Amino acid sequence: MTPTVSASGLCLRYGGTRALDDVSLRLTQGVTGLLGPNGAGKTTLLRVLATAVPADQGAFTVLGQDPGTARGRQEVRRRLGYLPQTPGFHPDFTAFEFVDYVAILKELTDRGARHREVRRVLDEVDLSDVRGKRIKKLSGGMRQRVALAAALVGDPGFLVLDEPTVGLDPEQRMRFRELIARAGEGRTVLLSTHQTEDVAMLCHRVVVMAAGAVRFDGTPAELTARAAGRVWSSTERDPGAKAGWRTGLGAFRNVGDPPPGADLLEPTLEDGYLLTLDGAGTEVAV
Amino acid sequence: MTWHVSEEDLRAYARGELAPPVLWSADTHVTACARCRAVLAEVGDPVALDAAWERLDAKLDAPRPGFFEGLLLRLGVAGHTARLLAATPALRGSWLGAVVAVLMMSVVAAYAGRTTASPTLFLALAPLLPLAGVALSYGPALDPTYEMAVVSPMHGFRLLMIRTVAVIVASLGLDGLATLALPGYGLRALAWLLPALALTTTGLALSARLGPVLAPSVVGGGWALLLVAAHASADGGTLAPFTAAGQGVAAAVAALAAALLFLVRDRFDLFNGSAA
Repeated sequence: MTPTVSASGLCLRYGGTRALDDVSLRLTQGVTGLLGPNGAGKTTLLRVLATAVPADQGAFTVLGQDPGTARGRQEVRRRLGYLPQTPGFHPDFTAFEFVDYVAILKELTDRGARHREVRRVLDEVDLSDVRGKRIKKLSGGMRQRVALAAALVGDPGFLVLDEPTVGLDPEQRMRFRELIARAGEGRTVLLSTHQTEDVAMLCHRVVVMAAGAVRFDGTPAELTARAAGRVWSSTERDPGAKAGWRTGLGAFRNVGDPPPGADLLEPTLEDGYLLTLDGAGTEVAV
Repeated sequence: MTWHVSEEDLRAYARGELAPPVLWSADTHVTACARCRAVLAEVGDPVALDAAWERLDAKLDAPRPGFFEGLLLRLGVAGHTARLLAATPALRGSWLGAVVAVLMMSVVAAYAGRTTASPTLFLALAPLLPLAGVALSYGPALDPTYEMAVVSPMHGFRLLMIRTVAVIVASLGLDGLATLALPGYGLRALAWLLPALALTTTGLALSARLGPVLAPSVVGGGWALLLVAAHASADGGTLAPFTAAGQGVAAAVAALAAALLFLVRDRFDLFNGSAA
C-alpha cells in the first residue's frame, strides 16, 4: 500500500533541546496512535508533518507532495485536516460561524458550497442541533467536536489530531473515539495521545516516542507482546521492578524482569508501553 | 374533509407555481389534510424538494453578520473577506474603544499645554496605535485560531495583509479624526502619519524573525528612545522626527521596511511560536 506519509531522518532542535532525533516513519490508511510522555516530541512531530514547522534535517512527503517547497506545502495543506492540542475559538462565533471561518481559510470562497460543507461536517460530528449556539456556551466535549468538524472540512486525506481526548470526561471520550474511528475510514489519521486506551480501541498501528526519537513502531498487539512474561503481581512493592503500582484490588502490579517464581500476569498495552519507555526517563518510575 | 385539492393543483403547488388565492387555500388545506399531504408527497419532485429543504436550511443557519461584518459587507467587501476580518482581535470594539480613549487624552493634553509649536504627546502616541493594532491581529499569543490558520492553504502573508490593511485603515482613520480636533496646528498635526507607517511596516518586517510580540515591542521601545533623544536635543523646538527631514527619514524607513517585508513574506506561512 502506498504510504500517505513517508518520512526519513527528521531532526529538529529548539535551542539546546533535540525535539526530533532522526525520526523515520511511514503512515498508511487507518488510525495510527502516537504515544509518548510529555516532552517526547509528539506535538513537534505533528507540527512538522502538518507543515506548520520545517524540520532542520530529513525529508518527508505527504500524499505524494513535498512540503519542502511552497507549492508542495500548499498542496499538502489543501488535503490536510489538523486539530491542534489546544484548539482556539473566537468566543463570539457560533459553531457554524467558526467552521465557516475555517472553511474560508481552506479556500472555500463560494458561499453556497461552503455552507453545504459546513453543514456536512457538523452533521458528521453530530453537532447539527447546536450549530447556531455560541461556542462559549458549548461543553468542552462539544467544543472539541467543533474543532474536529473544522479539521474535517474539505474531506482531508490526512488527518492530524493532537491529544483530542485530553480533558474530556469518560463518556465524552468514548463518543469522541467513535468519531475518530469513523473519521479514520478511508483516510489516514495520526492521533497523538497519552491514553493507551485510545490506542487499544482505535489504532491499527502505534508509534512510541521518547526524547524526540521513535522507540517503537508496530501494531498494538506487538507492543503488548513486549511485556509478555514481564508483568507480575506481588503483595508488596517489588524494588526490582522497573515500574510498579497498587491496583484496585490492593496488590501491586509490577513490570520489568520478574523474580523467580513470580505470579505472572497477562500483559496489557500499557505494560508494553511502560517497558518501551524504560531508560527514556520521564514516566516510568511510578 | 369535504373536499380535496386537485392533483393538478398539488403538482403546481409542489413546483411552487400555484398562484394566490388558490395557493392560500391549498396551503391551509394541505396543513390539515393527511390525504392531500400523501398525494403531494407522491406528485412532488424529490430533487426539487431536497433543494428547497437545503435552501431553507441554509437560510436558517447562515451566519448573521455582526455590526462590523455587516458594515464591511455594505461597503462592498466580499463576504469571505469580511468574515476573516470579523475574527481580527484588533478590530473588536474593546480595542477600538481603547484607541479612541488614548487619542482623546492626547488631544486634551495638546489643548492643555498649547505652548509648543506642535502637539508633541499626540504626535508621539498616534504612530504607536496602528503598530499595536497590527501586533494584536495575528500570532499564536493573540489569535486563538493561529495554529489552525497557519496550516491552512490560504497563505499566512495574505491573511496577515488582509488584517493589517483593515487595522491600519481603522487606526489611521481614528488618528485622522483626532487630528481634525487640532485645527490650530495645521498640517503639523499630521506629522504622525509617516512615522506610523514606518513603525508598522518595520514592526511587521522584524516580526518574521523576532516574533509578533518582541518585534513591535522593540520597535515601540526604539520609537520612545528616539523621541527622548530628540527631546534632549530639540531645545524647545519641534522634535526631529516631526520636522521635514524627519518625515523624509520616516518615509524612507517605511519604504525599506515594506521591501524587506515582501522579501520575508514566506516566513509568515510557518508557525511562529514555541513548540512542545
